[in-house]
Amino acid sequence: MRYFDRLHPAAALVYFLFMILTAMLSLNPAVIVLCYLSGVIFCGILTGFKNLFKSLLYSIPLTALIALTNPIFSHRGETVLFFLNDNPVTKEAILYGVFTALMLMSVFYWCRNYSTVMTTDKFIYLFGRAIPKLSLVLSLILAFIPKLKRKYKEIDAAQKALGVYAAKSYVDKIRSKMRVLSILLTDSLENAVETADSMRARGYGLKHRTSFALYRFEISDGIFLAVTAVLGIGCIACIAAGGANFNFYPALSRLNLSAVSCALYACLALLGFMSLFVEVKENILWRLLKSKI
Amino acid sequence: MALIEVKNLSFTYNGAQTAALKDINLSVESGDFVLLFGESGCGKTTLLRLLKKQLRPAGKQDGEALYRFKNIADLDDRTAAAEIGYVMQNPDNQTVTDKVWHELAFGLESLGEKNEVIRRKVAEICGFFGIGDWFHRRTFELSGGQKQLLALASVMVMDPSVLILDEPTAQLDPIAASEFFASLKKINDELGVTIIIAEHRLEEVFPLADKAVLMDKGKIFMCDAPRNVGKKLSNSELSHKMSLGLPAAVRLFYALGKTGDCPLTVKEGKKFISENYNGDIARIDPPEQYLGERRAAMEVSGGYFRYERELPDVLRGLDLTVYENELLCILGANGAGKTTLLAVLSGVKRLYKGKLRIWGKKLKEYGGNSLYRGNIACLPQNPQNLFVKNTVESDLYEITKIAGYGREEGKKAVEEICAKFGILHLLKSHPYDLSGGEQQKAALAKVLLIKPAILLLDEPTKGLDACSKRGLADILKKLKDEGKTIVIVTHDVEFAAEYADRCAMFFDGQIVSVDGRINFFASNSYYTTAAARMTRPLYENAVTVELAEKLCRMNGEKRHG
Repeated sequence: MRYFDRLHPAAALVYFLFMILTAMLSLNPAVIVLCYLSGVIFCGILTGFKNLFKSLLYSIPLTALIALTNPIFSHRGETVLFFLNDNPVTKEAILYGVFTALMLMSVFYWCRNYSTVMTTDKFIYLFGRAIPKLSLVLSLILAFIPKLKRKYKEIDAAQKALGVYAAKSYVDKIRSKMRVLSILLTDSLENAVETADSMRARGYGLKHRTSFALYRFEISDGIFLAVTAVLGIGCIACIAAGGANFNFYPALSRLNLSAVSCALYACLALLGFMSLFVEVKENILWRLLKSKI
Repeated sequence: MALIEVKNLSFTYNGAQTAALKDINLSVESGDFVLLFGESGCGKTTLLRLLKKQLRPAGKQDGEALYRFKNIADLDDRTAAAEIGYVMQNPDNQTVTDKVWHELAFGLESLGEKNEVIRRKVAEICGFFGIGDWFHRRTFELSGGQKQLLALASVMVMDPSVLILDEPTAQLDPIAASEFFASLKKINDELGVTIIIAEHRLEEVFPLADKAVLMDKGKIFMCDAPRNVGKKLSNSELSHKMSLGLPAAVRLFYALGKTGDCPLTVKEGKKFISENYNGDIARIDPPEQYLGERRAAMEVSGGYFRYERELPDVLRGLDLTVYENELLCILGANGAGKTTLLAVLSGVKRLYKGKLRIWGKKLKEYGGNSLYRGNIACLPQNPQNLFVKNTVESDLYEITKIAGYGREEGKKAVEEICAKFGILHLLKSHPYDLSGGEQQKAALAKVLLIKPAILLLDEPTKGLDACSKRGLADILKKLKDEGKTIVIVTHDVEFAAEYADRCAMFFDGQIVSVDGRINFFASNSYYTTAAARMTRPLYENAVTVELAEKLCRMNGEKRHG
């Protein structure tokens, strides 16, 4: 069991939102690198390092591709390295490409982590609070789709064995699919009546409906949320104070190492690697516990 | 004190000419287990729905239906939802949400219970039904039997005092059905919950009931303790057609012309036979049928099939020969891949290894649609999957066009086949408005209009009452006389034992045994009919009630004293 599986969805949501937004909105190389590294390593912990390597196999070439594309089309920047077909290729454009690519990839990995942790029922739970009807509808739809898919296959097979598919021309193919869809529609409407009956039989439509959830907000969730909030506000304050300023064009600015910037890097590093920290801690605790038994 | 009291209840649906229920009187005591049975369309569902406020049909009602002395229509919504639970037939349709835990909580959410209360009650119910393992699973991953148990649990979680069930096991295989009945018995015995259930499958539920109610054409025909109902029904003067559906022990008892208390279960039946009958003649050898060199209609050798490359094989090394003009039943548990096997036989799915020959020709040699023109037709498990049009008539005409009949020819063919199946009066109805048995007949008519030489049927007896089953068997017999080859996949052991020529057992992707029906079931110890289980070890091959009766008579009664 991973720590993030146990973590209250609200705390996890705040954490992910902050990481994704930071990764998306900042063009400071240090910030980008921090977000990228923490995102990639966290992905390894969540999905297993084998899966991570598989994804790196295609994400690294993609990164390189994006990084190389920029200097081909953008000729801004004052340090010309060489000319390609009479067009200047500049150091600034290359670095800009590299960091944009890294930024995209860090957003990708953080989004991937988000979707690994925030399964649909967690999402429904969070937003169902605000709109209970919506969460129920989502749950109904999620229950309905697989039924529909299976039904489609059944009908398709039944019609095929009836020999109604001439299968030669495209028009016939489309017509036979229309047939299946038409049966599917009638059938679903018919069955939906029964589902509605089942809902009413169990009191759906009574006043004061509540919405049950499996999650409880525990003290450890509170601590996690508080730490996220403090570090997050710290980061935002530092960014507001100009700690993340960095320019690629016309010339690379020097990496800001003022007190404010260092505070930003520190906060962000803590925040980004906090997920790793809690997972690793969880792992170590578990092993200790097991070794004692 | 009667918990539910129905007094002189009559009911007519809006727009209907005749009453669906006529003058029903029924009183159900707290803790009773009441079984309703009768032909499809006899008004069981109407009666049950009238007892549940939320599901009451629209129509004209005379007389009253009372719950704790209060008219059910006037009950407070909350009471009606919580105290009277209702479980329906189709496990898929009555599952509302995507997760098991949410399904269990659904009713309590409606009642507006607090989170802590729901948590506790859901935990309790999981413990009671032993379904804690599935708690986090998605509902669509569950099997039919599991879904139905979940439906039961998610009604029970609201702590009802009456539980109403409308053919809850119609869509389940025998194993899942017995598990379901075991849970019902537990609810009734351990919690004292009153149960009112409508069922076709009487073998197991009949002995459980305190009261059996036979309905016929909207009336209560008989209402008594099961033993007495068995007795009255088997009375030869009455010769009611529902006596076909009675448990094997009851049928055997009265077939032997006995009087007194009849046995209800296999256990009681076994005792009755071993105490009363000699066992000198252990078997009747079925008359040798010399069939000569039979032509193979379908031949599979070394067939392998799987759905996806990563998935395990569903068929592995399948060998099967279907002979011309025979009725072959392929039996096997649910989820064993029987439907897949049928899809392969009908050419909808292709083997990735092995050979399939139909009339000695490879599948490839049937170009275009020629396989489905006069060769093979398949009746799917759910006949609804076949209907496209708004009336049975236009649906049947459509297939005549596809099958290439002329206009006049088609009309004649449709009339002929409908007359044969006795569905002429249904021609103008919407296919979805027919009962299960009628739908089956209409679907079969549609399939037969293609004039197939080989007919494949997938679970044709699912959800049918005893009379409809008999009707289906008669149709199949006629078709066989016309020279058709019929392959049925089913888990209906009793049906196979009664009507098949040969039976085959499908397990683990292979046919593990094939034999004539009597030998097949006589050599099985577990997967066999109630009659066979009842008469063993005294008799070796009494696989149907008729055979058991014959053997008993041949052996004669024991002399007591």
